[in-house]
Amino acid sequence: MTEFLYLVPLITVLVGALVLMFMSMYDKFTLKHFITTTSIFLIIALGFSVAEFGDLFSAKPYNELFNNALVFDTYANFFGVLLIFGTLLIVLIGEHYFYDHSYFKGEFFSVLMFALFGMMLIANSNELITAYISLEIASFAIYILVGFQSEDAKRVEAMFKYLVLGSFIGSFFLLGTVLIYGVSGSTNLNDISTYITTHSGSDLNLIYIGITLLLFTFLFKIAAFPFQSWVLDVYRGAPMLVTAYMASTFKVAIFSLFLRAYLQTFSTIQNFWDPILYVLIIFTLAYGTWIAITQKIIKRMLAASSIVHTGYILLGFISLGQNIDNAYAIMFYLISYLLTAIGAFGLISHIISETKVRVTYEDFKGLAHERPFLAAAMTIFLFSLAGIPSTIGFIGKFYIFTEAINSGYASLTIVAIIATIISVYYYFRLIAMMYFYPASDACTSEGFDDKRISTYIVAFLAALVVWGGIGSAIVFFIPAPNIDAIIEVSKLAIESLFLK
Amino acid sequence: MSAESLSFIIFLPAIVAFGLMITTANVEAVRNIAFLTTTVILALVLKIYINFDPNAGMQFVTNAPWIQTYGINYYIGVDGFSLTILMLIAILIPTSYLLLWEGRTKGYWINMLLVQTGVTGALLSLDVILFYFFWEVMLLPVFLMIGIDGFGDKVFTTIKVTIYTMAGSLLMFIGIIYLGVTFYNEFGFWSFQYNDFTKITTLSYHEQVYLFLTFVIAFGIKIPIFPLHTWIMDTYKNAPTGAVFLLSSIMAKLGVYAIVRFMIPIFPEIYIEYSTWFVFIGLFGLVYFGIAALMQNDIKRMFAYSSASHLSFIAAGIFSLNAYGINGALYLIIAHAIATGALFLLVGVLHDESKFKTISDLGGIAKVAPIFTFIFAIMLFANIGLPGTNGFVSELLIIFGIYEFNHTLGYISALTVIIGASYMLWMFQRAILQDRVGEPRKMRDLKIKEIIGLAPWIILVFLMGVYPEPFIDKFEPTVTHFLNDILKIGVMR
Repeated sequence: MTEFLYLVPLITVLVGALVLMFMSMYDKFTLKHFITTTSIFLIIALGFSVAEFGDLFSAKPYNELFNNALVFDTYANFFGVLLIFGTLLIVLIGEHYFYDHSYFKGEFFSVLMFALFGMMLIANSNELITAYISLEIASFAIYILVGFQSEDAKRVEAMFKYLVLGSFIGSFFLLGTVLIYGVSGSTNLNDISTYITTHSGSDLNLIYIGITLLLFTFLFKIAAFPFQSWVLDVYRGAPMLVTAYMASTFKVAIFSLFLRAYLQTFSTIQNFWDPILYVLIIFTLAYGTWIAITQKIIKRMLAASSIVHTGYILLGFISLGQNIDNAYAIMFYLISYLLTAIGAFGLISHIISETKVRVTYEDFKGLAHERPFLAAAMTIFLFSLAGIPSTIGFIGKFYIFTEAINSGYASLTIVAIIATIISVYYYFRLIAMMYFYPASDACTSEGFDDKRISTYIVAFLAALVVWGGIGSAIVFFIPAPNIDAIIEVSKLAIESLFLK
Repeated sequence: MSAESLSFIIFLPAIVAFGLMITTANVEAVRNIAFLTTTVILALVLKIYINFDPNAGMQFVTNAPWIQTYGINYYIGVDGFSLTILMLIAILIPTSYLLLWEGRTKGYWINMLLVQTGVTGALLSLDVILFYFFWEVMLLPVFLMIGIDGFGDKVFTTIKVTIYTMAGSLLMFIGIIYLGVTFYNEFGFWSFQYNDFTKITTLSYHEQVYLFLTFVIAFGIKIPIFPLHTWIMDTYKNAPTGAVFLLSSIMAKLGVYAIVRFMIPIFPEIYIEYSTWFVFIGLFGLVYFGIAALMQNDIKRMFAYSSASHLSFIAAGIFSLNAYGINGALYLIIAHAIATGALFLLVGVLHDESKFKTISDLGGIAKVAPIFTFIFAIMLFANIGLPGTNGFVSELLIIFGIYEFNHTLGYISALTVIIGASYMLWMFQRAILQDRVGEPRKMRDLKIKEIIGLAPWIILVFLMGVYPEPFIDKFEPTVTHFLNDILKIGVMR
């Protein structure tokens, strides 16, 4: 019975996806029904995931059925909670946007659930082929989401670009797996790990090549240099919320797999990875920054800045080589970026739903006078992205940078700090636009409905971002969990991998 | 007097500000509540000032865990040195409210309150991360004030000042983390308390120099010392009066404060070794900014340069390695805050009333606004350092200090006072005294409220000028502690 309980969140999401698919065959269900159904399934799944939280476990249920391909441990559970929570936030924050764009039909939510299902499988996979399959389940669902409105040429172009490149790069993953299998005789992460620790020298050559190929897929999916060229077009072409989904939740899923692979299996040969990563981090930060400062369209700026954030997370990755405990810094950063990115993208989609023209920096002029609350929330998200103290983004950067310096990457951290200094420019420019100009007539909107779920979710996220930065200690009189709680949980998750 | 009162002083303005943010009260009510808040704080600070024992070191300490994983604490306290500046802030802010009384927006007052929280928090923090937290927090409201209420090319100005100061802060951030990691590697546990940082022994000479420089740049941008000053010209010109007042009178002082608070204890050797350079840079800045001020025709820019010039003098005093210089610098921090603060506020009044552009547009004010002229003159003389004012005491002490440090530099510093006197008096003659050609200047005189606001400042100017003993007594033991116990150079007094 306990074995089954571990599977419940996954099954709930899968059943949810199927139910939504059947529902979408009938015309009598409105968008509201779909949003409600999706939310209910997500909340159930989230409830079961959270319920399992708190104690250390690592189980491989129905061993004969799954053949150890899937592992259910606190680590996977941690990411499961994040992924479900991220998806739930996307659905709720996007409520306004969905109503406003007629092309969002029931199928959208079904595909979204399938994407989530794939992502959760990614976090649970303990084996390279399973990882590949779940990666493709998630990716294909995302391809469909990107091209959801087929009348829009920009969207179709984005979808095909992503589809072709993504499938192409996916084949590298398979090739890498094949090479690793060829040498070690297994695709199971634990077995490969055993092989690596017991062999050395030329026995590992093919493993190195295999890992490099896996690395290609990883870098492509998280949009690191030199595989970042698709990001701007695809993020620009996709519907706003899908962009948010890709930039936040999907990225978390990808990191869950590669963090696990790195910690469990490949950490022993990190000497091989680190020089490659070192150069890639510098280029990722530099390129992302360069692209971000040259953008005029907010969505593209946020997309480009997500490349920079990838650079920060990779900085955490490289410091893992020196001290494996640093993984919690990455996990904390993922949480902080998840919340902030969904907040920022979601808020813009919320605004776009009312005023169709808010696209460029110029269009955001005077938003603070019109919508003081939304402008304030946006300011909080931008502060967090820029890493200003009192937001969760600051704490995330603090952990990453501290661990990087502690691992001896002081010069790389300085590069990251320089990227942060420049990022102040492109984030604060938007704040300046919102606050320091009168609103232009073309952009003013009438009858803005503040009583929407999206608005409350924006407020909720903004509050979370501030809580994550201040915690409860500095405001003694509010009884709330401390920020340390997140770190405790992340550490528990890593312990469940039984590395020591 | 409980230890929590410091937390109360820090957070009261912020809590009131957030409360005011969500209410729909009109501007007058917001302003009155804000003013009331600052007077409550003033009362509390006065109580602390009286209860403070100069020889007891750090007092009213609160230490609560914040981010335990990294040993980061909410750790605050006050010693003679921070107490002096705390008192200064508590007096200056409510009185500045009286001069800014009319014609401001709701956001303006809320931002003023938030700045107070940031400044006080940074001042009282004994944990470096907490300090960094407040250091950034105090900047953001000013960013909004300049952007919303500024003049001219205000957006460019805000972005420029933000990037400048953020660059400095982030540089400091690296330094802080580096020190934290070094501490962790040496002692095996995390801590970011500054008195723990002073125990670090494993830093190599080069590491110490680099870290020292990151902190100098971070604090130097805020002060600003030459050549990190280029942000102030646009900012002081385009920013609204309140923001200029806060930047020049209060935040710049925190830069000086941070140098003494963090850099002397953590890098004593480097501090001594490089002090000659910094005294020299300070004096160079004093002359350079003084000459620049002499050539300005825009009154706000002139004050910007004049302020920078005096702050360079403070920096020179701080690095003079003896009790005269450091005491003098601390004294000048107060004197400068009062005189410059008052002058900026008075120029703000002048600007609101007559919408002048340059010094040559002005003139004839003495006839229509005698009280204004009178107070303006007092502050001007205090700024120049006329005997009998607090400026005189502090400049004298600094000159003594620099003389003791190096005789030649001492002579130079004594001569530089002339530059300050010349641009100030020349400006006074042109802008205030001389008759205008054509129609007479329209300018209202100061109102009773404003005179009441400025009265404590005037009293302080003269009280501190003729009877400095009780003021110096409060921070003297702390300075002696810094010199004797930390820098290990005997006090020659």
